[in-house]
Amino acid sequence: MSPEEIQAIFFAECDESLQAAEAGLAACRAGSRDSETINAIFRAVHSIKGGAGAFGFEALQAYTHIFETLLSDVRDGSVPLGPGLIDLLLTALDMLSDHVAAARGADEQPLDSALLAELTAAQARNAAGAGPDLAPVDPEQSRPGDGENDASDPFDLDSLLASLSDELSPGALPPEQEWLVHVRPHAGAMINGGEPLLLLRELARLGGRCVLADVSPLPPLDLLDWQTGYLGWTFALPAGVSEADVHEIFDFVGEECGVAYGPHQSIPPPAPAEMRPAPAATTAGFRNPARQAGAGPAPATPLAGSDGRTAAATAPVLGPAPAPAPPAVGQSIRIDLVKLDRLIDTVGELVIAQAMLAQQLSTQGAAAVEEMGMLEALTRDIQESAMAIRAQPIGSVFSRVPRILRELAATTGKHVRLEVSGESTELDKTVIEKLGEPLTHLIRNAVDHGIECAADRVAAGKPAEGTISLSAEHRSGRIHIRIADDGKGIDPARILAKAIEKGIVSPDAQLSREEIDNLIFAPGFSTAQEVSNISGRGVGMDVVRQAVKELGGRITIESEPGAGTTFALTLPLTLAVSDGMIINVGDQALVVPLASVVESLRPAPGEVRGLGLGQAMLNVRGSFIPIIRLHDLVGAGGDPVTPETGVLVVVETEAAGKAALLVNGISDQRQFVIKSLETHYRSMEGVAGATILGNGCVALILDVDSLVKTAAASPPSASRIMLLQDAA
Amino acid sequence: MHKITLPERCDRAATEALVPEFVAALGGGPLQIDATAVRQCGQAMLQLLVSARRTGDGARIDPSPALLDVALLTGLDGELFDEAHQPAGAAA
Repeated sequence: MSPEEIQAIFFAECDESLQAAEAGLAACRAGSRDSETINAIFRAVHSIKGGAGAFGFEALQAYTHIFETLLSDVRDGSVPLGPGLIDLLLTALDMLSDHVAAARGADEQPLDSALLAELTAAQARNAAGAGPDLAPVDPEQSRPGDGENDASDPFDLDSLLASLSDELSPGALPPEQEWLVHVRPHAGAMINGGEPLLLLRELARLGGRCVLADVSPLPPLDLLDWQTGYLGWTFALPAGVSEADVHEIFDFVGEECGVAYGPHQSIPPPAPAEMRPAPAATTAGFRNPARQAGAGPAPATPLAGSDGRTAAATAPVLGPAPAPAPPAVGQSIRIDLVKLDRLIDTVGELVIAQAMLAQQLSTQGAAAVEEMGMLEALTRDIQESAMAIRAQPIGSVFSRVPRILRELAATTGKHVRLEVSGESTELDKTVIEKLGEPLTHLIRNAVDHGIECAADRVAAGKPAEGTISLSAEHRSGRIHIRIADDGKGIDPARILAKAIEKGIVSPDAQLSREEIDNLIFAPGFSTAQEVSNISGRGVGMDVVRQAVKELGGRITIESEPGAGTTFALTLPLTLAVSDGMIINVGDQALVVPLASVVESLRPAPGEVRGLGLGQAMLNVRGSFIPIIRLHDLVGAGGDPVTPETGVLVVVETEAAGKAALLVNGISDQRQFVIKSLETHYRSMEGVAGATILGNGCVALILDVDSLVKTAAASPPSASRIMLLQDAA
Repeated sequence: MHKITLPERCDRAATEALVPEFVAALGGGPLQIDATAVRQCGQAMLQLLVSARRTGDGARIDPSPALLDVALLTGLDGELFDEAHQPAGAAA
């Protein structure tokens, strides 16, 4: 593994540590100040410090050192953890996040001297007496690392090696309360200055003791490759130590060290490359003076030492290769995103190939073969599994919010409580990455415009502290995110007045409540009394809607004056593959995303009414919706179709409500792979992308929202948006 | 009897340097390994020592307290040392 790759892992782990510390401090604020929570915060900061030292990020290391020292005192119970200190620690955590960003090269080095002085002062000021609200941490449970002279920094290998022979503390708990962890360091664990025995030492520090050492893969001297890891161990750990604690020790070595947990697991086998075939001479050559008497082929029998702790637990040298151990609980690997994207691309091609095969079979009259159905199901399974690899919990975006709220509290004086649910809901990494900005806007908007100042809230009979709740859930193949505040809600009269003042709507316009609420998404709209650096420049909400739209999602508002506002976002789970309806328009095949389709129908006589200028309306169960003649709109060749002879596809749009697309027919409904039009051509109004159909033709994917909006705003003749002469 | 003296710091570099000497000593009767100066010992050296003990005529190791501690940590004290050298707690 190259140093750059190791560094990338370090930064990924920094992010995880920052999130863990944030979660821990949030739990402390909520009242759970138990030793495990405080330990978790300490560990998170400590592990960042360790990595910072190893990679030479001096500013980060120096900062984390001061931060960690205070946390260490908190952990020991010598500094009381009150609400004031929690706030300070949260501020310190934000600064730590900035330091990590600076080390990454993504940001300027933060100015931390004032905060460092505050941290040091807090430590000195509070050190006088232990706080009553802090449960002292059990030293037995405390994790490695304890201040500047701590030799357990995972990266300070020299000092670690030096202290390897220091204090060993075999577990004091009775064996029945112990649980097992099995470890086998592979060759990689010993390179780049790595030393697996340090990991064992960490286990010992947690109270672990070695109960089994597997020396069976070890060859005789003449076959020994000193660079290979042959030994494996089973350690018994006290019940008070969690699997997560142990997991953390082995996190940094990743795949270089096989780890398994529990009584039903065994020491993982050596890595395949390290399984040296042992010639017959090996057995003959084995002789151990200590246990010579009656010894047969040594590794075939348990090699019990005088203490009975060494054993040929697995005997890969002589016997057949053991069955691979089942995957341990919580095992994970890190994969380069490029590799993953390549897999997704290939799966996309597979979906296309499958569609082409289906088409081919269908032209030969064999569309209904059973195997084709199986292939389709398998292709979908593979595609979903591949997508699942890219899926990440939305919690990674939600975790930014507490910091935003803290910063807003500092600038606006509005203190907001955050309630989060569904943070483990997963969606595609790309969607997650693009969701950060709109979410930040919405949160800022909620605090700035939604939540009232404390005095107004109290006067309105509300708690002084506002509440914002964030929730996420999967529903019918999409993810629904809600950002709700309990603020003053949207005042329709004020919004309308502002919109009229800014010329966004005409003074005599008759707008529904929903339409008025939606005005806040209009470009240039802002009701803030004065422009602040939080929001109020009128660029926020239209940017939000645009970003959500680019993600293939929708945003809606529900607001109750005096009670609060809720923004509801509906997003696709992935941006790579989607379900769509393939429609024929003249001589063209086009794709309508299934998410937009409400229903499709052939109108009965009398259901279509003319409406001047060649426009027509469809009567759908009593409500009239405009008919959009796609043939004209897309400039397709062939004979135009009439509502009486064609099919109407009713779609729902964000901007213009429902509309009926008039098409010649519907030819299929299937998965399609979304290819970006911008990458290959340029962005086009009314087109969301392109795909390849089963017959090898390129078909454009309609951006139904903008298409309907364009059609509604322009007379039919002027709204031709594209010409597909060479699309096939 | 071939005698090999281990350095204070028995890391990967020391192991790499000593492997040829260990292999060269094969067939010359039991090895005598003076490990009394050892203050640090990593997995590479530990493996070399265990392998030396289990190969040919075996080896006798005179350990330092630091090496005894590492052996105890790794559960290899019984594997590495004759009983006379085992730390008090090792047999438990």
